[in-house]
Amino acid sequence: MSREVWCIVEHRGGEVDNDSLQLFGAVHRLDGEAVAVVCGDEVAGLAEQISGECDRVISLSSSALASFTPDGYAQAIVPLALERQPSAILTLHSHFLGRDLAPVLASRLGTGLISDCIDVEWRAGFVGKRLVYRRKLIATQRSIVPGIQVATCQRGAFEAPESSGLDAAVEMLSVEIDVDAVRWKVGEFDEAEVVVGDITEADVIVAAGRGVGSKENLDSVQRLAKAIGGTLAASRPLVDHGWLSRGLQVGSSGKTVRPRLYLALGISGAIQHVVGMRDSDVIVAINKDPRAPIFEYADYGIVADLMEIIGPLTDEVEALRG
Amino acid sequence: MRIAVLMKAVVEPESRIGLGSDGEVQCANFRYELNEYDLYAVEEAIRMAELYDAEVTVVSAGPEEAVQSLRKGLAMGATDAIFVPVEESMGDAFLSAEVLADVLKPVQPDLILSGVESNDLGGSQVGVLVAEQLGYVAATMVISVKVGNDGVLNVRRELEGGNFVDVDLPMPAVLTIQTGLNEPRYPSLKGIMAAKRKDLVRLELSDLDIGDSQLVETIEYSYPPRRERAQMIEGSSEAIASELVSLLRAKDKVL
Repeated sequence: MSREVWCIVEHRGGEVDNDSLQLFGAVHRLDGEAVAVVCGDEVAGLAEQISGECDRVISLSSSALASFTPDGYAQAIVPLALERQPSAILTLHSHFLGRDLAPVLASRLGTGLISDCIDVEWRAGFVGKRLVYRRKLIATQRSIVPGIQVATCQRGAFEAPESSGLDAAVEMLSVEIDVDAVRWKVGEFDEAEVVVGDITEADVIVAAGRGVGSKENLDSVQRLAKAIGGTLAASRPLVDHGWLSRGLQVGSSGKTVRPRLYLALGISGAIQHVVGMRDSDVIVAINKDPRAPIFEYADYGIVADLMEIIGPLTDEVEALRG
Repeated sequence: MRIAVLMKAVVEPESRIGLGSDGEVQCANFRYELNEYDLYAVEEAIRMAELYDAEVTVVSAGPEEAVQSLRKGLAMGATDAIFVPVEESMGDAFLSAEVLADVLKPVQPDLILSGVESNDLGGSQVGVLVAEQLGYVAATMVISVKVGNDGVLNVRRELEGGNFVDVDLPMPAVLTIQTGLNEPRYPSLKGIMAAKRKDLVRLELSDLDIGDSQLVETIEYSYPPRRERAQMIEGSSEAIASELVSLLRAKDKVL
């Protein structure tokens, strides 16, 4: 078993997803050699983007890898992994490599998978820590199979190491892909709309969640947003209900925002939401569940029925701002 | 066409979850409900069944409470149900996938739907692993699905940052369903009555051809490190509003 830990790099449109660099931070926890693995069609530019950030780069190129497909990527990675036996393979817990690829890799390598890890280490085997039961507990899990380990890492859980500034060795391999065995046919990408008054530009955000209760109650939230000079935003459930448009969604499948002030109203604080707002300067959370995880991220917390507090709060803000 | 839906009974999100003196998760007072993501998968399967003249089999391997979830699926319009009692302590995604795949082999579904993840353990692996076990193709984070005239699935997947990608893939396939792609129906009284006459088959683990396939074990549970908690503001609604506004203005200077 080598010390190599392979980090499958996420990229799109010729740009590396910078969160991929956090995987090299996870490799440090494993005391391994950080080997970036880049799969694609034109990969030289991608390899160059990351060669200063890791110990070594393996680029696997084929015209059949131009778009991500689980079958294509697995065909490129699995045989090489079986030959070289890296100690572990890491990906982000992302929508492509984390959800579609990692279980396929684990399955075809005959090994287990620990997903969405917030920490990894060797402790009588490969160990990953992950948040369970809506982040109320940490489960420490250990793989009980020897050989190559596969894990996915939560975005933001590991810090990308400082850039070494040195160009790591890049190994360029062209791979044969059996296109008949690639079952996905990838069509159009649909980019998120860029809208005027984009929430990512807002200075103050008033975000509503499930705790708002009804569509009618959004009027009160809207009034508060207006009074405070803020922009309305939402967590996923309200968008799913069709109460607010998708462009207003904060979180992993929506926008990432960093306003000076973020009011989280009736938002419980699921990780998918929190990753989109935790870097806001000041966070205020109002929720009726005192154990809601949002309070861990807030500067100010109020345990209350939102609809009882929002009227007085709007009055107070209006009085202040005239 | 036959569609199978993987359903999981999960610990209610509001449950008080803690550790016993033995370090194990205390589950005596757990209440279970149908995993929210799976509810959207069931609804999508029933809509597809109506559109494409298919039958829907709902399947669950888990605690006894899963029977309630399966009954709900039947009341919403599924054709039949299969239940395998499995202890929570066996919660390894590979093992769950192997059980479900073995149950589904004789059913031979053209399409298998599940939620994108469970909202208790949240591994988001089981759907894809079931596909691998059965030799099906899989796609996750599906936000819309259609069957083309050629029998090919046209799906739209959700990516990070509000982006989407369209993918075509052949059946048989497994799709994991994201919330919000439909509005799950409430079972009608007629549906609930009809569900009582539908088949709910119970299989035991000993009926299945599964090996000792556990690949991952949970060695310990712990509480997340306490962050510096929010400064909690208490009092009457008016007092809270006034204190918050003055703090935001005077201390944080954001108003």
